[in-house]
Amino acid sequence: MARSDVLVIVPALDEEESLGATLDEVRTVAPWADLLVVDDGSQDRTSQVARARGVPVLRHAVNLGVGAALQSGFRYALEAGYAIGVQHDADRQHDPRDLEALVAPVRDGRCDVSIGSRYVTRTGYRAPLFRRLGMLWFAAVVHGALGQRIADTTSGFRAYGRRAMEAGLEDFPRDFPDAPLLIALGRRGFRFVEVPAQMREREAGRSFYTVGKSLYYPYKNMLASLMAMLRAHDGERRS
Amino acid sequence: MEFLSRAQVITAVAATMLVFIVLDLVRRRRLSEEYSLLWVASTVVVAVLGFSTPLLQAITHALGILYEASTVFFFGLGFATAMLLFLSVKLSRLGQDHLTLTRELAFLRLELERLRGNPPTPGQESA
Repeated sequence: MARSDVLVIVPALDEEESLGATLDEVRTVAPWADLLVVDDGSQDRTSQVARARGVPVLRHAVNLGVGAALQSGFRYALEAGYAIGVQHDADRQHDPRDLEALVAPVRDGRCDVSIGSRYVTRTGYRAPLFRRLGMLWFAAVVHGALGQRIADTTSGFRAYGRRAMEAGLEDFPRDFPDAPLLIALGRRGFRFVEVPAQMREREAGRSFYTVGKSLYYPYKNMLASLMAMLRAHDGERRS
Repeated sequence: MEFLSRAQVITAVAATMLVFIVLDLVRRRRLSEEYSLLWVASTVVVAVLGFSTPLLQAITHALGILYEASTVFFFGLGFATAMLLFLSVKLSRLGQDHLTLTRELAFLRLELERLRGNPPTPGQESA
């Protein structure tokens, strides 16, 4: 059985409107990659949309959070023997034409995690002011913790090597896999590379990041980042 | 038995009633023994403080609290805080268990779909 060594993991919550187009686009543009949809407790036909296209679906019976969905995807990828797992949003915000460039640094062994970034070069993406401030802040937090500048800490477009996925199985933020995850991985010696990536406007569905969460998000991410540093510190002392 | 105030009587009687309610809940298996411990401990302590005026006065004096009633509230609040923290820890643990079970179910369901012949295993899907 000729099989790809790259699994594109698509976490999805109530994305029946855009998921089909996302999957079709990835298949057309990157036929060398396999697909997996992690349906994180959708109330709509998200799972059916994926199954109708022959894409395997891991369906969480209840909503667990985007981090937990991604982690389920990691476990699947590791058990099935994939070398690389790519995190890819279901809402067509990412352009699958960037997939090849995203996967390349991990495949070449230049890094363990490559991040599709909106800020490496001008990509035309303009975030709202409040979000932009938050992104700058968490970029500074990550820089302070790791000594490495990562412009786009909130990017949901990343490629992970096997070792990074294995580490992600042990310790992983359940809701927002952003700055705390990068800090946890970076402190364990995993290397990152940022790759320019296009971001498009959402077409349908709703973001994982709702208004209510926008207040909780900064608190949670700061605390989780701090904990990631402390835990890594404990780990270093033990070893 | 000398009581300092009406509030002390009410507190003592209420705490005693609560002990019986907690024990009855355990008897009817509505409350597990594990969770009853903090409840019983807290209500017994508050009841003893309520009924024993000399003890209450001694503790109040030792802690530098001005009013005896405050001592009872102090202990009550202490136990309530301990209880809430204990429950938050339990709830976090329960959330983790819940995640593990939900994920396990997702993998089993996919495995079952495979065994039934849909969807195809990866790599064969575009064939």
